[in-house]
Amino acid sequence: MRREIIDRLERALGAAAVTTDDTELLVYECDALALFKNKPDAVVFPANTEQVAEVVRIANEYRIPFLPRGSGTGLSGGAMAIDGGIIIELQGMNRILSVDVDNRFAVVQPGVVNIHISQAVAPHGLYYAPDPSSQSACSIGGNVAENAGGPHCLKYGMTTNHILAIEAVLSSGEVVRLGNPAGEAVGMDLLGAIVGSEGTFAIVTEITVRLLPKPQAVKTLLAAYKSFEECSQTVSDIVAAGIVPAALEFMDDNTIVAVEASVYRAGFPLDARAVLLIEVDGFSDGLTETAAEIIEICRRNNAYDVRVAKDEEERARLWMGRKGSFGAMGRISPDMMVMDAVIPRTQLPGVLAGIERISERYRLKVANVFHAGDGNLHPLILFDSRHQDQVDKILIMGEEIMRLCVGVGGSLSGEHGVGCEKNDFMGMVFTESDLESMACVKRVFNSSGLLNPSKVFPTGRGCTEIGRPGTTSTEEIGRKVEKMLLGQKQ
Amino acid sequence: MTIDGITPGKVLRPESIDELSQALRAESGAVVPLGAATQTCFGNPLHRADCVLDLTGLSRITEYNPADLTIHVEAGVTLGQLQHALRENNQFLPLDPWNGPQATIGGIAAANAQGPFRAAGTIRDWIIGMKVVHVDGRISKTGGRVVKNVTGYDLAKLYTGSLGTLAVVAEISLKLRARFARTATAIVRCENAAAAGRLLSAIRHSPLSPVSCEWVGPENTVWLRFGEHPSAVDWQIRNLPAADWKIIEGADESAEWEKLRRQYHELGSVMLRVIGLPSTVSEIVSEYQPHAWIAHVMNGIVLMSVSTGDEIRAIRSRYRVVVEKAPAEMRREAGTFAPAPAEYELMKKMKEAFDPEGRLNPGRHVDGERRN
Repeated sequence: MRREIIDRLERALGAAAVTTDDTELLVYECDALALFKNKPDAVVFPANTEQVAEVVRIANEYRIPFLPRGSGTGLSGGAMAIDGGIIIELQGMNRILSVDVDNRFAVVQPGVVNIHISQAVAPHGLYYAPDPSSQSACSIGGNVAENAGGPHCLKYGMTTNHILAIEAVLSSGEVVRLGNPAGEAVGMDLLGAIVGSEGTFAIVTEITVRLLPKPQAVKTLLAAYKSFEECSQTVSDIVAAGIVPAALEFMDDNTIVAVEASVYRAGFPLDARAVLLIEVDGFSDGLTETAAEIIEICRRNNAYDVRVAKDEEERARLWMGRKGSFGAMGRISPDMMVMDAVIPRTQLPGVLAGIERISERYRLKVANVFHAGDGNLHPLILFDSRHQDQVDKILIMGEEIMRLCVGVGGSLSGEHGVGCEKNDFMGMVFTESDLESMACVKRVFNSSGLLNPSKVFPTGRGCTEIGRPGTTSTEEIGRKVEKMLLGQKQ
Repeated sequence: MTIDGITPGKVLRPESIDELSQALRAESGAVVPLGAATQTCFGNPLHRADCVLDLTGLSRITEYNPADLTIHVEAGVTLGQLQHALRENNQFLPLDPWNGPQATIGGIAAANAQGPFRAAGTIRDWIIGMKVVHVDGRISKTGGRVVKNVTGYDLAKLYTGSLGTLAVVAEISLKLRARFARTATAIVRCENAAAAGRLLSAIRHSPLSPVSCEWVGPENTVWLRFGEHPSAVDWQIRNLPAADWKIIEGADESAEWEKLRRQYHELGSVMLRVIGLPSTVSEIVSEYQPHAWIAHVMNGIVLMSVSTGDEIRAIRSRYRVVVEKAPAEMRREAGTFAPAPAEYELMKKMKEAFDPEGRLNPGRHVDGERRN
């Protein structure tokens, strides 16, 4: 990047808030989709909205691509600088600005970690509902960009249902405020369009989130099965019975083995083919009956073990096992590719069998851990990136799984987004005309196209061209970080 | 037929999405999509109407998957028709917009129409996919047929509430929910607005979780509806703050809410939706002294009847206000949504991007607003 531009950025933000150091940039070469990497030319750390807007104006002036980044936990490459340029790192804007307990909302900066909101408002009996598995690390700004989900979205809805208002910097550098704390859409819903636009419409710099009162009571159950079919049928039967669980999570045997071998150990039965983690919440009155009804449905589907968490500690442990399951995969495989697809929930048995066939054919293990209640699959393809043949295989294998899901009426992503992971698959679900309508909206928000380019829309190159998978090995990063820590800047 | 005093040149009634597309392709004038015509006085007054597209011919439920809790319907399907189809599987769409069962799903979406059942959001929160026809006849879709989906941009959010000014809504996919095992309604008449305010504050600060919480004036009745597991409904009824509640259930309950729905339509000829906060609802009512009102207390929204444009301006100086109903002249003068400048510019660009010649429902939305 030209010295002149760096000087401009440094003048705007202060020298400490701009980095172009090659080693430091390594940290920003990918998000949690670590398979694909590309280094930005600079990373800036703004402290407020005005600084974000100023960076955007400078980037526009020099026609440099730019994109926002939160905690980098995204799984579709949304925060990867595919065309280089400036990453606007918002982690430093991490203050909870205000909490209105009476009206149940909080105003927060985008770098606030998801779970910190719930922790901050817990003394008032409130919480923020969307709970992606990465909630202890992911930022609320990233959640807004990706319309993040989580297990409890089954009952409480996605991020989009909990964002009441935002302040955002448009691609031109203009600052806008949209929405109101009542969450009442007024005319065409611009705010609703920005949520889930994967950081390609605007950079969100302040967010008003809805808070919910904590339910009076919660019951968490674990049901173990000897077959996928019986486990899947239980999901359908619970839904058919008119029960709306707070969460309904599926974990297969590979997942159980990994979790039980890890620090997230939750006491999942090692002899099960699959388990369901089921949670119901609401008023104490009626909840015991609902739980009993669920137990009955599990038994009818041959669950050989059904337990109800006896206290908050056991419940927390079960959830720790579920939410730690992605991380636990390191116990059984050096690398994994997290897939995200969504299918009509009645298609679960057939699709799981299909994934198993694909896994056998490619001779790569798949672990299935997902939000069964809304048909949101997460096949985790386990591989070893030191073997190039495996790396080559997972991409084709992933595509095949996507085709399988789309073929039964499903879609490419339930909560992780398209980013630069699946943009070349968009043609599986959308026509040219559908994409033209989306492009039409993108042009309104992002007329220069400089904000987070080469995402969402098919480019014919995906992530793969820039990042021949595995450009930087973990070992190499380790060495560089070590040098950095020792003060030997390269 | 006249809308805002304009008699359209012709009325076309397509019976399929393809016919709708052909009609739009052939048309070169101003096009006005119309459902059951239950809310023609919502939105800014039309500028022109060369051709009305009567969408009631698009009345098919194209697919219903009870086990997946999803349904796909053409825009002209009425809410009544939809709920009837869902009832046999003990499911429903948790909405009760004021324009009632004869309103079409397309119209409800276009206006983001709403009623007292607000606990589960508005139709925007239940739409999982949409097929629209653009002004040039092009057909495009957004979202999908699954209950959770972030594939591509969520354009359904933009189409919802845009009053048919970006594209014509042709088909809508919805997620559904199981009917409540039990519902019950508690109604009480308070002595005056202050007493109602105190009662509502007590309800807001209690563990009660009504699906509707309405304050109706000037008679000062408070309406609470509960829908849950039967035991949870019982618990909430038992734990109501002390007052002379009348508890109604079953057919009586439905009849009573239908009465309130009719009452909404008789509140006055100028109706505003004042957007405040739950804690400011009482203040809004006491400060502006409307002739009549219905407040969605849990949402901080007061629907109120006023008389003059000056009153609208006064309230707008402090609150966001949507004009729900008013004579054409007053709507033209005040603007239905009165967007803030930055919002106005974005909406205007969006309109120009989708409909560069301004032929879809001209004047209805942003093109009928003034830049403030």
